[in-house]
Amino acid sequence: MYALCLRMVGNPADAEDLMQEAFLQLYRKIGTFRGESAFSTWLHRMTVNVVLMRLRKKTLPTDSLEETLEPDSESSGPKRDVGAPDLRLSGAVDRVNLERSIEKLPPGYRTVFVLHDVQGYEHNEIADIMGCSVGNSKSQLHKARTRLRELLQEEIREQAREERKAAKTQSGSLD
Amino acid sequence: MQCKDLELVVESEGLVLLTSEAREHLTLCPACRGFVSDLEFIAAAARAIPAEIEPPAHVWTSLRAQLEAEGLIKEPVTALEGVPSRIWPRWFGLRSLITATAGAALLAAVLLLTHTPVAPRAPAAGTPAQAPVQTNDSAPSPLAAPPAAPAPSLAALSVPKAAFSAKRHSSGPTASRIKELAPSPSEDAGTTFAPSPVDQDFPDMELAGNSQVDASLRQNLRTLNEFIAECERHLKENPHDQLAREYLYTAYQQKADLLATMMDSARSEH
Repeated sequence: MYALCLRMVGNPADAEDLMQEAFLQLYRKIGTFRGESAFSTWLHRMTVNVVLMRLRKKTLPTDSLEETLEPDSESSGPKRDVGAPDLRLSGAVDRVNLERSIEKLPPGYRTVFVLHDVQGYEHNEIADIMGCSVGNSKSQLHKARTRLRELLQEEIREQAREERKAAKTQSGSLD
Repeated sequence: MQCKDLELVVESEGLVLLTSEAREHLTLCPACRGFVSDLEFIAAAARAIPAEIEPPAHVWTSLRAQLEAEGLIKEPVTALEGVPSRIWPRWFGLRSLITATAGAALLAAVLLLTHTPVAPRAPAAGTPAQAPVQTNDSAPSPLAAPPAAPAPSLAALSVPKAAFSAKRHSSGPTASRIKELAPSPSEDAGTTFAPSPVDQDFPDMELAGNSQVDASLRQNLRTLNEFIAECERHLKENPHDQLAREYLYTAYQQKADLLATMMDSARSEH
């Protein structure tokens, strides 16, 4: 639960509060568990709801709530320039880069990505947790991965720029 | 197949189950090949991220405090920590058995007193000064002789002796006699149960006119004594076990009541 909260909010203090709140909900509502799904699924659903409620409260008025939590596939989905040279990620990205990029994802993408690729839930379980369809879960996951790819490529380019700058500065100082 | 078609396939089917058309396109399109390769790398890297992270210890402390404050959890009863599991259910079983047998013995004694005519018997041992019971000559007459040692288990307990004797509904001398007859704890906690002094006191004495009631009373007493011995053994090993002390106190009370009943019924036959 803590890992899920931490990856969804990216902040240890908030993650601790949210985990505590989720456990309190668990104790208060344990009598409502009917066994229709696995207990872990029920627990994670409760946790995701607690986190999403907190994120809804924190959403800036200028941001569209729907776009933040469930970005529309047509309007805000990541675009891929077919002709642009892609930077290969393999060998250039480490875990720190990846986790930092995950934090930058919109909450809706982030939730599905963490539940599927990190926690190992299947799409039908994610649909149960998130209260969406299986197709929606698959779509969100694909968009999350695509967006992460863009963020990681930006990070690689940024690192390359920094290294070039550092090299220029060093060679300039030697002259 | 076009690049955008491939992307739709990847979106709906994932990275594992690509169609033959999609695989064929990948062999021909390096951009799409790179795209799929990057997504596979991201998925693999995410799987390597630990799914579980242990939260800081203070989170659990804070959570527990909040749960207790809301009354959702309560402090567990710690009195029986260390009690072997074989003893605990046995105590429960024994306790209800003792209660039931004591009640049955009491009822039997009451019925006996009210319905069954009996012949006069030898004088009951109301006081230590009385003459020994006219029983088998070879049997000892411990009634006249006080037990060699007092009941240190009673003294060891923080049970007020006044409360113990006050529970008796009979006269004072009977209560003090009962105290004398209470078994002393054996020095070795592991020793087996020794015959009750009452069994020695009343080897052949008829406690009631009905031999069945008599046997029942003795059996009840033996059961009580076994339970008391077990409690005392446990308390020797766990002197701070308050619940065990309560059980022992209750058992002594029940024994006192039972002995009083037995003596009253025996005395009333005269």
